[in-house]
Order: sequence, then structure tokens, then C-alpha cells
Amino acid sequence: MEHEHIVKKFDKNLEKIKATIVEMGELVGIQVNDATAVLSSYDAAEVERITSYDRIINGLNKDIHDRAEILIVRRQPMALDLRKTLAPINISGELERIGDHAKSTAKRAHIIHNAPPEAATLDMIAQMSVIAQAMLDNVIIAYENADIDLAASVRAQDKDVDALYKQTVQTVIETLSKTPENAESLIHITLIARNFERIGDHICNIARYVHQIVTGEDLKASAGPSDLRLEK
Amino acid sequence: MIDPIITARGVDIFYDTNQAIFDVDLDILPNKVTAFIGPSGCGKSTFLRAINRMNDLIPICRVTGEMKIAGQDIYDPAVDVVALRAQVGMVFQKPNPFPKSIFENVAYGLKIHKITESKTELQDRVEWSLRSAGLWAEVADRLDQPGNSLSGGQQQRLCIARAIAVKPKVILMDEPCSALDPIATAVVEELIDNLRKDYTIVIVTHSMQQAARVSQRTAFFHLGTLVEFGDTKSIFTNPADERTQNYITGRIG
Repeated sequence: MEHEHIVKKFDKNLEKIKATIVEMGELVGIQVNDATAVLSSYDAAEVERITSYDRIINGLNKDIHDRAEILIVRRQPMALDLRKTLAPINISGELERIGDHAKSTAKRAHIIHNAPPEAATLDMIAQMSVIAQAMLDNVIIAYENADIDLAASVRAQDKDVDALYKQTVQTVIETLSKTPENAESLIHITLIARNFERIGDHICNIARYVHQIVTGEDLKASAGPSDLRLEK
Repeated sequence: MIDPIITARGVDIFYDTNQAIFDVDLDILPNKVTAFIGPSGCGKSTFLRAINRMNDLIPICRVTGEMKIAGQDIYDPAVDVVALRAQVGMVFQKPNPFPKSIFENVAYGLKIHKITESKTELQDRVEWSLRSAGLWAEVADRLDQPGNSLSGGQQQRLCIARAIAVKPKVILMDEPCSALDPIATAVVEELIDNLRKDYTIVIVTHSMQQAARVSQRTAFFHLGTLVEFGDTKSIFTNPADERTQNYITGRIG
């Protein structure tokens, strides 16, 4: 059971940062969902609308940075509070990147619409999107509830996205020789699959930050030494 | 593995019948800055003062258990307390220069311990101490002026110069910056970092940020017990004990 701060505003400031991340996560989730839908039912106005999410998401990203900055200046957060303040800066960055991939996906919809590629490739994209959206929903819930088990299960799901990405690329290679006239849309299918593969990676990074907030353990720390440790 | 310079084992400290410190085991490593943190009344200053037997001055205070410095039990009745305090210097919360000149403040310990043999040697040692305390440039031309004519930050560095003049092994600091402005605090913190090359420093501070800045090891005291002791980085980024977490993050435990 986590205790309250003596300074009540401290709790409110941290809660506001958390609520903003959740809001941003939900918005990015909608963007990913809509970007996937527009691939199969193309509508130029809809692409425009999906692209315009960008501005709101960037605004929320800036809002989180500003709130974290002012909290550091005012409260000098330590330990758990420090992690709760710093992680959202990274998490919002990951969410912002996911939004960029959704936007990039939506912007390719007209090419897919003009020259529809093999249905199998679009099915695989749709599957990747379903998994990625479930991962995104769960990682936001894991963040909200400080649930490291849920965060771990999100990380485990990424291999399914990776497998589908490889499968899509393989199918594209095979299809290219059969229907060379579809080369352009097949290349864009590959790039869209790549977007979802990257979305999965960004969600995994968020899951690692959730783990770090709760435990203080950096799951990426084994990757190399940090030169940011306090001097010995 | 470096041998600790100060080892405390099963230390209990009482004020009359009130127990202020309960069964503390603590190893302090040489040439490190160790910070003691904890809420008011947690026993951190009491424990600090036990390291150079400053508590002897309080008749109702009683220390039991074992406290060794460089292998010697400092509570052994054969120990000369005055000599001990030359080995374990102390700097207090409020700068407390003697009502003497700047020069005499630093020379005082050297004279009573008969450390220097000639007047030139005495002058050299005073200059060395003031230089080590980062004060020489500011006072070189007015050594004969009273110590208390200096600013608060300068007075505190004068007290540090006085403590290091006798070349102690350990310097104890009891909230040395709490009466100083941020600039004077920064100067003293920089000095602490320079001094640790030659001395072991133990500092009591109420500023968590100061503990995080100046120390390599941090001990958290609560209700007279040592709750957690470890690398400063671990204590302030990921403490093991919930009581430490609650204290350093300003939560109600």
C-alpha cells in the first residue's frame, strides 16, 4: 500500500501526469485502429482526420514534459517519485512515435486502394494491428495500475507481431514475382507491416518503463554500462 | 575489499533511561563521504557525536557496545579523549569560531596538541589548512582580524580549516550548511568533495539533495534504529526499505 505525500499537491501533480499518459495512450490507440480501418475502406477525408491527431498527440507530449519539468523543479522527486516523473517523459515519447507510425500507415492507404495487393498480406496487417492494439490497451492498463505481470505479458506478445511481420515480408517477396504490376503497393504493404512491427517495439519499451517505475529495475540495463550513475 | 575505518557493533545510546540508539552496526569506509539522514529525533546526531565521544559532555548520556576507529576501541578507559578528538574532528551546524583572530583559530589545535615545533612551521601549517579549506585567498591579508568578522560561509570554512589543521583521520559534520546560503553551501560541498581524498567524512544533513550530492554512502536512521545503509545511489533511487522510501519521498509512513 502506497502512502500519501505530506504535500498533497505532490500526489495531485503525479496523478495529472498519469492521467495525461492514459489520455494519450487512448488517443494513440484510436489512431492505430482508424489507420488500420482506412486501409480497407479508403476515404481521403478520413486519412486527413487521422493525420490531424498528430497535433493533439504532440500537444499532450509537450504537456507531459512541462508537468514533469515543473514537478522536478518544485518537488525534487526521489526514488519512486523520480521514476514516476521521468518514465512518463519516455513513455509519451514512445506513444508519440506510435502515433507517427499510425499516421504513416494511413498515408499509404490511397496506394493500397488504387492497386489492391494480395488479400493475404492485408489480412496479416489486420492481424498485426489487432495484436498491437490489444498490447497498447494492456500496457496502458499496466501503467495505470502499476501491474508488472500485465506489463510482462505485453512484452511476451510482441513475438507474435514480429512473426507476422516476417510472414508478411515473405509473402510480399513471393507475390512480387507473380504480380509485378502490384510492386508499388506491395512495397507499401511491407512498409506498413514495418510500422506495426515498430509499434510493437515501442509498446514493449513502455512495458519496460512500467516495470522500472514499480521495481526500480531497468530491464535494458544489461545492454551496457550507464555513465549517468552518481560518481563513486 | 577496503577495510572500514570506523566500525560500530551493537551500539546502544541512552539519555538517562531513554534509549536514543538501538543496537546499531555500521561500517564506515575510508575516503568516502557517509551521510546520515532521518527525521528530527531519529538519533543520527547522537550517533555522530558518539564517534568522537562528544556525548561524554552530557552527564546523563551513556554509550554501550563497541565503537572502533582504525581498530582501536574509542570507549576504552585508557583512551585520551582530547587526542581522540584531534583524530576525529568536528564541524557544527552553526559556525563557532573562537573569539580569536583568524590565525589563532586555526593555530589553536596545533598549539594545544604541540603538533608544530617552530613558528615558521606553525605559520606554514595554518596557511596549508586555510588553503585546504579554500579560504586562504579570502583571508591571507587579514589573518589578525577576528574569526567572527567573516561571513557565515567563511566562518564555516574557518571551522573546517581548524578541524583539518591537526590532520585528523575523520571529520564529523553536523548539518554544516544549514545556516548557509546556497552559494556558501555550494562552496562547502565542493570542499567536502575535495577533502575526501585525504579524510573520511561523516555528515548529518536534513537536505536529501545534499546527501545525494556529496555522499557516496548513506545511512537512514528512524526512531533510533539504523533502517538502511548502502550506496547513496541505491538509497535515493531505489531504497530497499519502505520506511526509507516514505521518508525520502516526503510521504506519511
